[in-house]
Amino acid sequence: MDYTITELMPSGLITLEEPPAEKTDAIEYLLDHITETGRVTDRESALSALVQREQETTTGVGKGIAIPHAQTSAVDQPSVAFCRSSAGIDFQSMDGKPAHLVFMILVPENGSDEHLEILSSLSRSLLHEEVREGLYDAETPTDVQAVIAEAIE
Amino acid sequence: MPERVVTVVPEAGLHARPASAFVRTANEYDCDLRVGAAEDADGDLVDARSMLAVTSLGVGHGDRVRLAADGADADGALDALEELLSTPEGNDEDQ
Repeated sequence: MDYTITELMPSGLITLEEPPAEKTDAIEYLLDHITETGRVTDRESALSALVQREQETTTGVGKGIAIPHAQTSAVDQPSVAFCRSSAGIDFQSMDGKPAHLVFMILVPENGSDEHLEILSSLSRSLLHEEVREGLYDAETPTDVQAVIAEAIE
Repeated sequence: MPERVVTVVPEAGLHARPASAFVRTANEYDCDLRVGAAEDADGDLVDARSMLAVTSLGVGHGDRVRLAADGADADGALDALEELLSTPEGNDEDQ
């Protein structure tokens, strides 16, 4: 990818606090983190793009992972947020298991495929069990950044 | 092991609704099913039954994918997946 992890996923976008247990609340919770860093110009339109994408089909991809994402004019730069749920969030994933590791990807609407590149790179890294374990074990946002930075090709 | 190469027709590529239809279909068969980019001849194929694995491929509209099946009704599974990937979005079962 063309971005460093700290540009894409600054520590302010990573939280190790317990997120809300309901899917839409968790999506809003992650969006709030991105909004608080000043990266979202229009929270409502970002939320509606995310919800619309969820309605098309869930972003719960199984193995305890969900990656809600949207391409929206409400952001000027690609951003990835992360939270970890010990309770698990029902994303209606096809494997029937709740999501514990949740990433949110927001990218600007500039016609490029960068959101799909970020989505596939992130998914590729999460296929590795040691990467998922690293995220479960992370104690600080810096730990999360280190796990992802090492995993992404 | 039966294999075939298919061009991905849905506009969204192997993402979103076409991807979930693909994975759902793959899970209806008992055989081992794998998928990967066709251009990447030596590339690893990933588990076609896993949404995370299919998402990791980053396959777009017009890309060619290689499908491989091994086990019971391997040809039937490949037929179903090929048909799905060859059908523009709007004609699939979710519409």
